[in-house]
Amino acid sequence: MSPVISVAGLTRRYHDNLALDQVSLEVEATSIVGLLGRNGAGKTTLLRILAGQEFPSSGEVLVHGAAPAENEAVLRRLVFVREDQTYPDFKVGHALRVASWFYPRWNAALADDLLADFGLPPGRAVKKLSRGMRSALGIVIGLAARAEVTMFDEPYAGLDAVARQIFYDRLLADYAEHPRTILLSTHLIDEASGLLERVVVIDRGRIVLTADADDLRGVATAVTGPVLAVDEFAAGRAVWDRRRIASRASVVVAGGLDEADRLRAASLHLDLTPLTLQQLVVQAAQPDDRERTSA
Amino acid sequence: MKTWRDVARYHLVVPWAPLLIPWAILSGSFLVNLVIFALSPYGHHTVMTSHGPVSVQDATHGYTGGVATIYILFLIIGLSLVGRSLPFALSLGVSRRSYYAGSAALGAALAVADGLVLAGLQAIERATDGWGVRMFFFRVPYILAGPWYLTWLTSSVALALLFIYGMWFGIIHRRWNLFGVAAFVIAQLAVVLAVVLLVAGADAWSSVGSFFTGLTAAGLTGLLAVLAVLLLAGGHATIRRATV
Amino acid sequence: MRDVAGLEEGTPLFAQIAERLAEEIADGGLAEGDRVPSMNELAAFYRINPATAAKGLNLLADDGLLEKRRGIGMFVASGARRRLLAQRRQRFAAHYIEPLVTEALRLGIDADDLVALVRESVPAAPQGGVQV
Repeated sequence: MSPVISVAGLTRRYHDNLALDQVSLEVEATSIVGLLGRNGAGKTTLLRILAGQEFPSSGEVLVHGAAPAENEAVLRRLVFVREDQTYPDFKVGHALRVASWFYPRWNAALADDLLADFGLPPGRAVKKLSRGMRSALGIVIGLAARAEVTMFDEPYAGLDAVARQIFYDRLLADYAEHPRTILLSTHLIDEASGLLERVVVIDRGRIVLTADADDLRGVATAVTGPVLAVDEFAAGRAVWDRRRIASRASVVVAGGLDEADRLRAASLHLDLTPLTLQQLVVQAAQPDDRERTSA
Repeated sequence: MKTWRDVARYHLVVPWAPLLIPWAILSGSFLVNLVIFALSPYGHHTVMTSHGPVSVQDATHGYTGGVATIYILFLIIGLSLVGRSLPFALSLGVSRRSYYAGSAALGAALAVADGLVLAGLQAIERATDGWGVRMFFFRVPYILAGPWYLTWLTSSVALALLFIYGMWFGIIHRRWNLFGVAAFVIAQLAVVLAVVLLVAGADAWSSVGSFFTGLTAAGLTGLLAVLAVLLLAGGHATIRRATV
Repeated sequence: MRDVAGLEEGTPLFAQIAERLAEEIADGGLAEGDRVPSMNELAAFYRINPATAAKGLNLLADDGLLEKRRGIGMFVASGARRRLLAQRRQRFAAHYIEPLVTEALRLGIDADDLVALVRESVPAAPQGGVQV
């Protein structure tokens, strides 16, 4: 099955800033992909180009087999929820009504349910909504559109943890019943990590890591304990991020640990803590080895 | 793809802006002028006679030019349409082409409809001899003074032209901000200057002058229509790479 | 997602899903012939991607512990419980005995003392626990 999104050698240059540098990526249909990275890494630029809102400087971008820019046949099958959407002088209900005209799979019942879930009054002017409510509106549109390609760019600005959980739950529930291709750009990685099948990490305009989310679990472990024991355990392994305090040390050991390793660590009185996806992404974005000491 | 039609509907979701505001403001202007004319019905001017200065009633009616308000409003509406409404439309997957086509179509439709109303009001004005106070609000000498269908045509073309012109300004602003707008204005002035220099260089003032004075209202309308088409092309070329 | 329904960070989620279902079967919570939760139900409960849940289910199915009935769902295969308990017994020595012995040696407890300690801890008549 050919990928629904296919990017090759994509570069986007602004005056002196190289926002995207030779990015290549493929996204399979009906999957949830996390687009991770620091602020300013290029996630938003990539999504905007996929949505036809920005133009590439060079390279090829294909969505459903065609370039998305100015291509309504493609754009009708795609919805992009931005972080900072501006609306005309609409009420919430107006925005939904208009959105329904442009998305053939729009589901009004779902939209109404989601409005209720987020406590969004349809009669309120969008201008008067708080930041969180605006984000919620974007999410409602993004989910109710049921577009084959659904992209969210950090859609939770101003949403508290409860509302974010509502978002993840509704997203999962609707995805389960109506599978589609979802790209979710986020820096709240651990919150969303269960949803993601695949993870793409971008740093400074380049893709630094692409992997199945499950493959990344347990790929790196923090080993903490007495310095000598730690060194003994870590000998011969790829290691990054050494830290030391008095007679204890902590290193991050790359590569999976098996049962034997675990037993050995236990016998050496070492603590093993697997790195979370968020920690891994942070690591991927700054691959330098650093030695940290305190007296 | 009938997306452009949905774009026109989109602009009318909050209908009072493009539909009612021009008329609300025009009515206000009209009423103000009416009151002024009612209070001092005829124009006067002072004439020196052998008996000293004497106030003499003007022979002509009073032209107010207030109807220009609605034309300016069409410019403003065209401008604001791009600024306020383009971002959401683009995010819904509307192409810039469709957005431009739908907006221009709406502007044209409004121009034709409002032009008809203006022609009608002009007829009433003529029938009531200037609303009873000899005020020329909806008639403008030479340009909007002929038969109703010609007035309708001229008004529609002029309104549409200003709408399209306003849209272009809006697009320029969207792409290059105030700096771009300033550059745009300067560029237009430069074009005008170039034309003036050309005409002067060819020593052709008299022929140009007689061309313009020889123009009928219909001819002028045709000229405006050509200008409108040029502006339409300009706006279209500019919106193609606009981003929000 | 951390701590939600107790899923941990260090191992692939699909493996954890499979592990938990296996435990339910071994403990008798899911009897042979019972329908196991669908991938969507698991996804909603654990708040994970349905594909991940499906992977976990398929893992058990590939091991013969679950059987698919098309259109209806997945069911606990006959003999699944017995096989899982047999697996657990095999791992018992590695999981429990070896660490126990290692620690005992470190503390200077010899084999006889160790056996005596174990005897004291095992109740005379089995209470609860698993009947096979």
